[in-house]
Amino acid sequence: MSLSPLVRKIFLVDLIKGLKVTFNYQPPSEAITEQYPLERPVIFERYRGQPRLKVDPDSGASMCIVCNLCALACPEQLIVVKGERNPVTKRKEPVSWVYDLSRCMFCGLCAEACSTDALELTQDYEMALYSREGMVLDQAALERGQEPVRYVK
Amino acid sequence: MLDAITNYLYSSATPGEAGSMFWATIYILLITIGVSLAVICMNWLERKILAHMQVRLGPMRVGPHGLLQPFADALKLLIKEDIIPQDSDKLVFWSAPVVVTMTAFTTFLVVPFGREHAVTDMNIGILFMLGVSSLGVLGIIMAGWSSNSHYPLMGSLRSSAQMVSYEVAMGLAIVCAVLMTSLQTGTGTLSMIGIVESQAQQHTWFIFKFFPLGFLAFAIFAIAMVAETNRAPFDLPEAESELVAGFHTEYSGFRWSLFFLAEYAAMLAVSSIAVTLWLGGWLRPFPNWLSGAAWDTAFSLVPALTMFVLAGLCLLGVVRMPKIPQMKAQTLGLLIFGLLLGFVGLVLLVPGVRERVQDIFWFVAKVAFFMYLYIWYRGTFPRYRFDQLMKVGWKILLPTGLGVLIATALWGLLPQLSSAVFGLLGVGGVLP
Repeated sequence: MSLSPLVRKIFLVDLIKGLKVTFNYQPPSEAITEQYPLERPVIFERYRGQPRLKVDPDSGASMCIVCNLCALACPEQLIVVKGERNPVTKRKEPVSWVYDLSRCMFCGLCAEACSTDALELTQDYEMALYSREGMVLDQAALERGQEPVRYVK
Repeated sequence: MLDAITNYLYSSATPGEAGSMFWATIYILLITIGVSLAVICMNWLERKILAHMQVRLGPMRVGPHGLLQPFADALKLLIKEDIIPQDSDKLVFWSAPVVVTMTAFTTFLVVPFGREHAVTDMNIGILFMLGVSSLGVLGIIMAGWSSNSHYPLMGSLRSSAQMVSYEVAMGLAIVCAVLMTSLQTGTGTLSMIGIVESQAQQHTWFIFKFFPLGFLAFAIFAIAMVAETNRAPFDLPEAESELVAGFHTEYSGFRWSLFFLAEYAAMLAVSSIAVTLWLGGWLRPFPNWLSGAAWDTAFSLVPALTMFVLAGLCLLGVVRMPKIPQMKAQTLGLLIFGLLLGFVGLVLLVPGVRERVQDIFWFVAKVAFFMYLYIWYRGTFPRYRFDQLMKVGWKILLPTGLGVLIATALWGLLPQLSSAVFGLLGVGGVLP
């Protein structure tokens, strides 16, 4: 530490230190690269990805009560919900759902506003498409959720 | 005719010495293929090692652990469109990569891979090597000038300035080594084989001779050779962030790959000069400390063992491959590669092969160490500024080289000087 700058220069002390650092980083276990399709990345708990509409697991009925709060909360106004009151159960049920994913910025305000926790931004992230066609999701697509991508020839 | 060809196999001379045209041609072909293969290996190793130093993985997809990546790249380069700029000097543009590649490969004529494993033993070997490799600068200037574009011209000017200034220091360091061959034995030599043999006679590698003078000369050469081959941290001619690619900016496809080939061949060539002059060429390590027939046999087993270790690493990789259908082909490929390496190891165990190959093995191992150093430097050091580069060359390496040269000469003359002094004082006969 107390070597004079001249001695450090002559014996290339700093260069050797640098060489040591890079040498020690060499074991492949040090590499932080993820081999993506082979190994799935760890997604953080609060990551907001593909939107999904939940259904009641017992009855299979949608948990959405068409309160329209999500549509009101959305800053992009990309959610349009229409519903009808079911005369038997006296519950409001969605008739048509439109969620335009191409305009979505994944702010999560809709999921926050949802009064029944029916709408949720999941941790699925493989949303890339070749055209805008499939980006407008209807109720069925939202309830189905995203199919896991498989890379098979 | 056939006898003349087969007789050579029982002699222990280079094809040049034996005057055998046939075997010289075979050697030249073998060396050309060997150097090209080494460049391919170097391409893969550089990407892998550099990636690991930068906490990445490097190529992983083309073949197991990216082993086929260099071949994929070579194929891509070969089928690329060959572009010649409209306003370029067509003839010079065309001949520049040829000149660079030819000079880089011609130097290997005198590289001694073993006592009898060189194309020829030229009595001015080291001079020939320096002279021919310096001609490479001409090719670089031709490339930069004929491209008729700013970046290549800047790159080639930087390159020539750098190569010319570092050649001086490099030459001084080489003269030190040549001087060491003449000391004590009395007969100096410029022949590459002669230099290694004089190291064997003096029972020391020149890097350890006259400590620290041999080491200093070696250090000067080791720095100058990095600058000479335009590699990091002296890669100003190709400075990727400043000059796009330096002198070969306008080159594409096959011509560009010739420059690439020449660059790596030149790296191999200067590394083999360093190995020949200071690290004892094909001589095995510890010839004095671990001497005797038993140790000779033990060291002759090292090439085979190295191959077995590499094969073992491959098999370890096979075991550690992810067990999924997509990786089946890659796992199989790695297994085959590992078995191939193991087979080569077995062949190297055969006594006849063992005796002949160990010279080449030690030479290649030492050169490989230098190649690793090249990659290591590239992964570690930031690029020098141009004035710093010139300062290191002219103000530090050149005076140090001169000093080391004078000191080596004085040290070598010490016995004669002291006897002369003692003779004057009238106490002669004490020293031999």
